[in-house]
Amino acid sequence: MTLVQALFVVALIAVLLAVIGFATVVVAGAARGGAGSFVTPALLGRMVRSPAERAEVDRWAFYAHRISGFAVFAFLALHVCDVGLYGLSHRLYDQVHQLYGTAPLRLFECGLLFGILFHTLNGLRILAIDLADLRVVTARRLLAGAFALTVVLALLGSVVILRPVLG
Amino acid sequence: MRVPGALDGRVADAGAAARPRALGTRRRALVWVMVRLTGLLLSVLVLGHFALTHILTDVANTGSSFVARRWGSGVWLAWDWLMLAAALAHGTAGIWVAIEDYTPSPAARRRRQWALLALAAVLFVLGSVTIARVILG
Repeated sequence: MTLVQALFVVALIAVLLAVIGFATVVVAGAARGGAGSFVTPALLGRMVRSPAERAEVDRWAFYAHRISGFAVFAFLALHVCDVGLYGLSHRLYDQVHQLYGTAPLRLFECGLLFGILFHTLNGLRILAIDLADLRVVTARRLLAGAFALTVVLALLGSVVILRPVLG
Repeated sequence: MRVPGALDGRVADAGAAARPRALGTRRRALVWVMVRLTGLLLSVLVLGHFALTHILTDVANTGSSFVARRWGSGVWLAWDWLMLAAALAHGTAGIWVAIEDYTPSPAARRRRQWALLALAAVLFVLGSVTIARVILG
């Protein structure tokens, strides 16, 4: 492993730790704020039984939006740096780029795709709520749609991304 | 999240002097619109970028020769620079609010927000220089 490759790996680990740290702060803040309950089997059971309980989902959509946004921004910081190597030397850029083709990085890209898709689709939902002044029920249906579309598209994308290393 | 303008300083209270001056209502409204506009723009730019470099092209084939070919076109240079600027503006505004929510201490809040602005500025300059060098050859 060359020096830039080692630096990239260290920076990537730092990005992952920052995301875990931020997610912990958000989730701990959710509990401290006393704004509602954690996602527990009991809560999920209530939400399935009664649509009135589904307001909880909106709150967790907000946290998921915040955490996925932070994660994408953290990776963007690293990505601007590794693409910046292209201006410095094509050889250094290619050394780091080789890592992107490895199995762990491909797995990371799948996670990134999940984050980007959820943040994008939920963001478009928020825009629609603001512009069209949607009812709560419609907004919640759109959230379910955004979540389902995220899972379907991200899984399809993950198959394409992982295929070369799965053989 | 705080209601826009709720801490504009019109209400005199003990903590007011220690708190950093909150953004004015008008500026908050402008940031709100900016976040929506850049978000809409990024939904096309980022998904298009990801689809091209990870789905349509395998990531193993996006080495420097791929970048050289792609950046041979002014459209992709403009695409990437616009994506950089929009993503940094959008992300900085988002994390700015997150810092406000999770940092009760005014001094620490100001420190973190300055660090965020510094990081965004460095990334903007780094990315812009990378693209400018390609244009200037």
